[in-house]
Amino acid sequence: MLAYLLRRLIGTVPVLLSVSIFVFAFVHLLPGDPARLVAGQEATVEQVEGVRKELALDRPLWEQYARYLSQLARLQLGRSIKTHEPVSALIAQRFMPTLWLTVVSMVWAVILGVGLGVLCGVKRGGWQDRAAAAAAILGISFPSFWLGLLLIDLFSVRLGWLPTGGYGGWTSFIMPAFTLGSAVAAVMARFTRSAFVEVSAEDYVRTARSKGVPERGVIWTHTLRNALIPVITLTGLQFGFLLGGAIVVETVFAWPGLGRLLIDSVSFRDYPVIQAEILLFAVEFVLINLIVDLLYGLVNPEIRLQ
Amino acid sequence: MTATTTIIGQSAIPTIRSPVSEFYRRFKRQRLAMISLVVIVVLVVTAFAAQWIAPYDQATPDYDALLEGPSWAHLAGTDSYGRDIFSRMIWGGQVSLTVGFLSVLLGGVVGVALGVISGFFGGWLDGFIMRVMDVMLAFPGILPAIAVVAILGPGIVNVIYAIAISAVPVFARLVRGTTLALKQTLYVQASRSIGVSRTQLMLRHILPGTLSGVIVYASLRMGTSILTAASLSFIGLGAQPPSPEWGAMLSDGRSYLGVADHITIFPGLAILITVLAFNLLGDGLRDALDQKLR
Amino acid sequence: MLRILSRVLLAAGLVFGASSAFAGSDLVVVVSDNLNGLDPHDLNDNISQAASRLTHEGLFKLDRDMKLVPALAESFEANDAATEFIFHLRKGVVFPDGTPFDASVVKFSFDRGGNPANNLKRQSIYVMIDHTDVVDPYTVRVTLKYPFGAFPNDLAHPGAAIVNPKLVEQWGKDFTRHATGTGPYELVSWDADTLKLKKNAKYRIPGLPKIDTLTYRSVNEDGTRLAMLQAGEAQFITPVPPAMISRIEKDPKIAIFDKPGLLSLFTTMNNAKKPFDDVRVRMALNLAVDKAAYRKVIWSGYADEQFSPMAPGLDGYVKQTPWGYDPAKAKALLAEAGYPNGFEATITGSPATIPKRTMEFLQQQMAAIGVKLTVETLEAGVLTQKLYTNPAPETATIQMLQTGWSTSTGDADWGIRPFLWGKGFPPVLNNFAYYKNKVVDDAIEAGLSTVDPEKRAAAYAIAQAQAWKDAPLIFLGQAHNLAAYSVKLKGATIRGDGQFNLDDDATLE
Repeated sequence: MLAYLLRRLIGTVPVLLSVSIFVFAFVHLLPGDPARLVAGQEATVEQVEGVRKELALDRPLWEQYARYLSQLARLQLGRSIKTHEPVSALIAQRFMPTLWLTVVSMVWAVILGVGLGVLCGVKRGGWQDRAAAAAAILGISFPSFWLGLLLIDLFSVRLGWLPTGGYGGWTSFIMPAFTLGSAVAAVMARFTRSAFVEVSAEDYVRTARSKGVPERGVIWTHTLRNALIPVITLTGLQFGFLLGGAIVVETVFAWPGLGRLLIDSVSFRDYPVIQAEILLFAVEFVLINLIVDLLYGLVNPEIRLQ
Repeated sequence: MTATTTIIGQSAIPTIRSPVSEFYRRFKRQRLAMISLVVIVVLVVTAFAAQWIAPYDQATPDYDALLEGPSWAHLAGTDSYGRDIFSRMIWGGQVSLTVGFLSVLLGGVVGVALGVISGFFGGWLDGFIMRVMDVMLAFPGILPAIAVVAILGPGIVNVIYAIAISAVPVFARLVRGTTLALKQTLYVQASRSIGVSRTQLMLRHILPGTLSGVIVYASLRMGTSILTAASLSFIGLGAQPPSPEWGAMLSDGRSYLGVADHITIFPGLAILITVLAFNLLGDGLRDALDQKLR
Repeated sequence: MLRILSRVLLAAGLVFGASSAFAGSDLVVVVSDNLNGLDPHDLNDNISQAASRLTHEGLFKLDRDMKLVPALAESFEANDAATEFIFHLRKGVVFPDGTPFDASVVKFSFDRGGNPANNLKRQSIYVMIDHTDVVDPYTVRVTLKYPFGAFPNDLAHPGAAIVNPKLVEQWGKDFTRHATGTGPYELVSWDADTLKLKKNAKYRIPGLPKIDTLTYRSVNEDGTRLAMLQAGEAQFITPVPPAMISRIEKDPKIAIFDKPGLLSLFTTMNNAKKPFDDVRVRMALNLAVDKAAYRKVIWSGYADEQFSPMAPGLDGYVKQTPWGYDPAKAKALLAEAGYPNGFEATITGSPATIPKRTMEFLQQQMAAIGVKLTVETLEAGVLTQKLYTNPAPETATIQMLQTGWSTSTGDADWGIRPFLWGKGFPPVLNNFAYYKNKVVDDAIEAGLSTVDPEKRAAAYAIAQAQAWKDAPLIFLGQAHNLAAYSVKLKGATIRGDGQFNLDDDATLE
């Protein structure tokens, strides 16, 4: 086990290295001149060139990459091209709001999603199945900006019960987490239902039923454990996606998160910020996927991880 | 063709049918899935027969009829240029359905292939493919889209590639997980030991087993693809004006929420119905395909 | 019974009275984007500059009507050639940390801002300065490299604000996170999307400001900003999309700010390449646009007709004869120019709501005269690349650009030269139309080289008239500045250039 963990952790190094190369290539492939974007429309040519030199953007690519790597090695993320703020400060300010929103939304999503999905699966074919399925679909096909703005209009403007947005006390989490979680819940629900239906028809389940094992026991100990595999995969992926910042929800609820930072940085070709954020997302996904793979083994001990 | 015998009590020999008609018979029994199929067919036909069905041209403005709510003249009202929303929705179906379907198909085929191969062979190949997927996942959905469109230019075809790319790692991870579990089943191991080729195994035994997850995710992804195309138009990617793509119509409606909600409601409904239909169809397909259900 | 009731009421009155005596006034202003820093010398966007004007001041400033008023300088003199300026500074001003304001601070500030080694974004404000001398603790002499009549206006720009030398030395590269100056408010904190300020106890005007704390928040979504105002979480929001005004017009607690602004909206045409090298084609396109419909469809009526390439309100503005709406004449002109069946062209612009909708609108208008426009929305970075990297007008890839211009200095020169001067082709300036006319160029240069208001007015009259006649651009309209605020707030406005402005004596009940 320990050996497996170590091997995986060491295996993350080439991934992160490749990500760093890819993202470096990516930002430089994007058409657009950061020096001009930063200096602005009213800047003179000399000013633009000055910015370019200051940011070492005029040096050959391999040299820029080398500087970038050496900075990373010293665990430094550089400064934003646009505002000169240290990138680490920029990301640190937004990391906790994003993390908390992700956690709360996922908790809501799993509770609602798995709950709905089990309902669907248990009552397969019945009206509860169809109703719950429709409710789940609503969650994913409802544009989140619309849901968000409707909620704000109802609960903040008309009723005055909740704040319109921003990262604040626990009340400020309710609407964004609901909006974000509902979309994820829809996915969870569909998958839980599907897996549930499939596994409940397995021979061993029918055997357990005929043996007189109470229905509840059948559902929980036999069916759900194996139905969990795709659900676990999905949860991990969705968690990772949300950590990457839920751009629409962040925008509508004025949540100071990593998603908006990324979009804004891309608009300005703020290379250091883009590079740092993507590297962060890579680290997050590598860790999440490691946890997911371990969970596979936990749920179904027969899955041997090489 | 097939032999049929009448059933006399429990001990009679059950009817034998070819797999295709068996599947069809079971599928037909799911009323909801059949209705969904009909809905989808209607959607597709309406969309592609737009020039004969749509009451108005989708681009002709009428500045004296701006932002009007639904009426007999305009079933879904008019937009901010006075264009008929109902007609635009019909025309828009062509683009939106194509984007949703093709991007999911493309991303799905590539992702599933990678996932099955990765999960089945394991070892360094699995490690390598999954690490590549990790790298792709590190780039949040909108980023590959921006890259593709910034480099290749705006337009709906590039949007399809962009959205497909972000779907690949999800399909791959999903399918790989299920493949890992299926690999352990007695059935597969037994088949291996009697010499069934690996390709055969992957195609005829493992792949169908992953289908339930794939179908579910693919049907959900149709909706998100259309919505992703909407957010792309905010950044200048995606369908260019005056395209009546449903996502673009939603984007336009954003400035008019609370003033002319019908601009958002109708394309929103269209997307909802489409995704619902595909999902219920997916459920039906899944239930019908599953060999163990009666 | 009555006695108990009156006791209760009295107690309640005490509680409420006491709470309002302790509660300071906290103004929350919500804008659309994040700040890019607090260092006035390093900002080039309206939002950050408006914020920096709350904490910093320059020798002069522009009031709410964009008129020049003295701030840290009391008066000035200039030589006739507009190459030497002497400023007499206000006495007794200190920074919040106690650092005194004097001529050496002014010299430090100007030298720092204009030093090419510092690469600050607002260098161009100082580029005409040859050297700054301290004559005595309250007198500064600035010698320019060339005549620049608009110098005092230049110094009213937020980029010319006086910074605190002590803070600059203390924070170095991080000054942009900690900058605060002699302005009415002092920095408390800046996190992600929220800037918190408090009243500057050492402000040079006693008794001001009246507002105790100010929070400046960035909320990207228009609908959310509106909701914040409606819910009472904010007292001033800007911008408000014209389409959303009808949602709050009838609310008695909300007032609408609606004033014509300095933003001129137009579409450039590449004057150096076919088909736009022919003035008849350009005239035709101007005649083909129904400007009244434009104002209705795009701006919901919150825009004005355009009467000159320069914006109204600028010194030297002269109304020209409007182009009007005449599609028949437009078609005739096109035929005369050799395009009886119209032609095809591509119009490019930002995917933001207003430019995108404008392009769609123009597509519809031009269709009526046979001109088939393809709309191309480009992402900001790609668009900038295409605009600024052409060695010559003939190689420009953009045929028509949907854009506009708003002068940030309130001065006539910057209201025409950046986009219509023959020597201002990108990347030098923003003449995306590649328009060049000797009469206009000579007039613009004449206006720049003198401080004499009459001579300048005469020069700009010539420049405007000629540039209007040549129709290098499709002139669309003048946008209004729209904002919304709580009726309890007095003294907050939007200046012509779109920047938020808070009077020193603003109050919030």
